Amino acid sequence: MARRTEGSVDRMTVPVSAASSPAAMQTASGSTAPSSPPLRPTTTAEVREIVGDAIANKTPVRIVGRGTWLNAGRPVEATRQVSLDALTGIVDYTPGDLTLTARAGTTLAEIARATAEHGQWLALAPWGGDAGSLGATAATATAGPMSGALGTPRDMVIGIEAVTGSGQVVRGGGRVVKNVAGFDLTRLMVGAWGTLGILTEVSVRLRGLPEQEATLALPLPNAPAALADVVARLRSAPIAPLAIEMVSATLAARLGLGQQPVVIARLAGNADAVSGQRVALGVIGDVMEVPDEVWTTVRTADPVEATVVRFSSTVARFPELWLAAERLATAGDGHVHATVLRSSARVVLPHNEDAPTDAALDLLRGASRDTRIFERLPRALWPVLAPTRAADRLSQGVRSAFDAHRLLNRGILGETHA
Amino acid sequence: MTHAADLADRITEIVGPRGVLRRPGELVVYRSDGLPGYSKQPRLAVFPRTRDELVAVVRLLAEQSVPFVPRGAGTGLSGGALADDVVLVGLNRLTRILSIDPVERLAVVEPGVVNVALTRAATPYGLHYAPDPSSQAACTIGGNVAENAGGPHCLKYGVTLNHVRAVTAILPDGEIVRLGSAEGEVDGYDLLGAFIGSEGCFGIALDVTVRLSPNPQAIRTLLADFTSVDAAARATSEIIASGIVPAALEMMDGATIRAVEASIYAAGYPVDAEAILLIELDGLEAGLEADVARIERMCAAAGARSVRIARDESERARLWQGRKKAFGAMGRVSSHLVVQDAVIPRTRLPDVLAAIREIAERQRITVCNVFHAGDGNLHPNIGYDANNPDEQARVHAAMREIMSACVAAGGTITGEHGVGLDKLDYMSLIFSEDSLAAMCRLREVFDPDHRANPGKVVPVHSCREWHGAPKAAWTA
Ligand SMILES: Cc1cc2nc3c(=O)[nH]c(=O)nc-3n(C[C@H](O)[C@H](O)[C@@H](O)COP(=O)(O)OP(=O)(O)OC[C@H]3O[C@@H](n4cnc5c(N)ncnc54)[C@H](O)[C@@H]3O)c2cc1C
Ligand SMILES: Cc1cc2nc3c(=O)[nH]c(=O)nc-3n(C[C@H](O)[C@H](O)[C@H](O)COP(=O)(O)OP(=O)(O)OC[C@H]3O[C@@H](n4cnc5c(N)ncnc54)[C@H](O)[C@@H]3O)c2cc1C
Repeated sequence: MARRTEGSVDRMTVPVSAASSPAAMQTASGSTAPSSPPLRPTTTAEVREIVGDAIANKTPVRIVGRGTWLNAGRPVEATRQVSLDALTGIVDYTPGDLTLTARAGTTLAEIARATAEHGQWLALAPWGGDAGSLGATAATATAGPMSGALGTPRDMVIGIEAVTGSGQVVRGGGRVVKNVAGFDLTRLMVGAWGTLGILTEVSVRLRGLPEQEATLALPLPNAPAALADVVARLRSAPIAPLAIEMVSATLAARLGLGQQPVVIARLAGNADAVSGQRVALGVIGDVMEVPDEVWTTVRTADPVEATVVRFSSTVARFPELWLAAERLATAGDGHVHATVLRSSARVVLPHNEDAPTDAALDLLRGASRDTRIFERLPRALWPVLAPTRAADRLSQGVRSAFDAHRLLNRGILGETHA
Repeated sequence: MTHAADLADRITEIVGPRGVLRRPGELVVYRSDGLPGYSKQPRLAVFPRTRDELVAVVRLLAEQSVPFVPRGAGTGLSGGALADDVVLVGLNRLTRILSIDPVERLAVVEPGVVNVALTRAATPYGLHYAPDPSSQAACTIGGNVAENAGGPHCLKYGVTLNHVRAVTAILPDGEIVRLGSAEGEVDGYDLLGAFIGSEGCFGIALDVTVRLSPNPQAIRTLLADFTSVDAAARATSEIIASGIVPAALEMMDGATIRAVEASIYAAGYPVDAEAILLIELDGLEAGLEADVARIERMCAAAGARSVRIARDESERARLWQGRKKAFGAMGRVSSHLVVQDAVIPRTRLPDVLAAIREIAERQRITVCNVFHAGDGNLHPNIGYDANNPDEQARVHAAMREIMSACVAAGGTITGEHGVGLDKLDYMSLIFSEDSLAAMCRLREVFDPDHRANPGKVVPVHSCREWHGAPKAAWTA
């Protein structure tokens, strides 16, 4: 990223009237707050009725799962909220098939509980912990530290049911692990942030829980060449880790791993596989055995209402991205962690709604060759920082085809700023 | 109104006389793909040699509102590449591998690159292209993208969708779009995901950026021999439920085994077995033996007579060759062979295979099974004589019953071969009219006039707002 950003970290730029814009005065809830209490459907048919009603009255609707990540994405304009926290429950789970179907509001925790009983799991572990819903996780395509090795919701969701913005109940995919019947409505809805339809049911593939697991930490050097060397050796080592995550010094301290940046690796397999991989990692540096719980901490370490930006890069540029992201996090009093097997870094800064931090602005202004995905920002920064994500003709066409009146999560992709 | 002859002349200006076929006699070879029983003749066939020629051709077709069908190697098994009196756009001359980047583990290829040629080109770097359809010696990456093709090793490594990072496509109206990204994640709608598996109905892939995978440190290939299909099916269900993910887990039944052993692809399979499982485990050397031992125990417990482990690479190659050439071997036995494709939940393997046996007996047809058992992806194959109307009718009735049995078990009508023409009638078995209409609307975002591969994938009557037949746009 950002040669420019690197050079400008300590240059205190002030945003173009961001703090004084009227938008900045609104709450961080991410919505123009609807006055009436949320509607809480318990069946797909009820969701359909709600959408039908919204179409009839042209009232934009805010979709809520469990509400743990609502103020992510661009601010939403809505006069009504539909919460899926009563549309819950596992619909179908035959352990021998390693697939599971649940209603959208079912929490990840409930799925974890049900599958663990059979030695299985939904190997997703997204940022934010397990309090969120399966529907929201699919709708936002949220992944976590294991995504580099095991994939994202795009790879794990095998079917959906949704109520489109035109009020139709549609299904894509199914409950089997391989399926090419028809055009792929599943892939289309995963990651669409609710703008094409309200997910009502999601089917996923599961995995067997590993026989054994171990988490090892290695200190990360600060010098660029040494860092690049460690990263390269991690990539080529004879290991098959579930995750390799680099964490900045501040986050390492919270994990109880000392005061310097470290890399943590999650090894899994049968006893021989785990001990073989331990040895292989030991060749790279001084490894320290750490409790598996650090993974939960990494996933839930964000301060309340944090500003979150995800950078994604290439293998070649990744060490450079890490160093730049680390400087940004330090300047902004936050932390960064990076998924080695995905060449991506997630920068987390304490949230400051009224006066966005300079570091956050540098993220905006830094000329970066890397992709930046803004997860959550101070409200005033959206229009300046993040161009709309679905401005191209095909994306607009898809939106119109499924939600002609833009009633669902209106604005979340930035279309009102387009 | 465009006259076919005028159009052919204008296309000839773009691709030269050797790039166009227009005489009915020359076009006969393009009447079918890998699916027997259908014959559709294209009006014209064009074979661009370069991307620029291809773009110019598609733009000309757009200008003239002429429908077209993309075609790779024509190995498709659902009739997807059949062009019924429209223009066939052959992509098999666009065979350049544009780049291989061993650091990023990415390759960029033209659509006509043959699947196995890519793996061959990646071999010097210790890499390979993971999706390995049994047709990999012939089928193209463009065709793989269009069908979201799978293969034996997709059990562990995923299908085409999981290995494509970006596609540059030309839409039917001539616009060139970039879907996905080779440089990290993409924000917004997963248009790449929608394009993959769109069976040529959303446009033509001009280039494809795929992930290359490192070759595993160690591989073990096991051949387990059973005296009943049921026992092999139970062993499969056990292995999957155990949580071990084999690289591949394939089943062949007795009829298939004997056809293979009678052919030039004889692999040394036990000819008196009623089923075999070909199981491959790969990954790190550390821990592999323990998993092999567990699988051996599970096979034995399910009733395997023996489990043999390939001693070396040549024995492994031979075991795989028998599997990959099984369709070819069966094809020698009867004049026509339908390679069917359906998926069921993996716990249902024993009872659905029994149901298929029962259907075959009742309809007096021969079904051979050779399939991706680990995914529950069945290929009940029916050998028959398409010139015998009575037999053909029984085959069709049996296929419909088999599809219904798979759907009733919670499955789907195709796992990797696509809907094409062949499965249009089955779509309503699994999708509601509203879902089919939604698929149509998605297609219309890419191809509002249904000019790209018209009449495939979604039954026309489900496309409520579709305005008229595109064929009317030109005359003889
Ligand atoms: C501390 C923390 C950090 C997180 N960090 C990240 C991150 O970096 N990246 C990331 O992508 N996610 C992140 N998440 C989100 C989270 O991991 C998942 O998206 C999910 O678990 C949130 O569930 P929820 O039900 O609370 O979602 P909600 O907060 O209720 O909804 C999240 C979004 O999904 C939409 N939505 C919810 N349900 C549906 C549905 N059924 N159909 C359609 N749309 C729906 C909502 O409109 C909303 O825009 C984080 C969460 C937390 C708590
Ligand atoms: C013996 C045998 C074994 C097989 N085994 C497998 C298997 O294991 N797994 C599996 O998945 N399939 C298998 N198949 C089916 C077939 O090989 C695949 O579907 C393959 O992907 C088709 O590739 P093709 O180049 O032959 O495409 P074609 O048959 O020429 O075309 C298939 C479809 O793709 C479209 N298309 C082709 N190129 C493009 C392009 N560049 N852009 C847009 N659309 C395009 C066509 O319009 C058509 O709809 C097998 C087939 C045979 C004959």
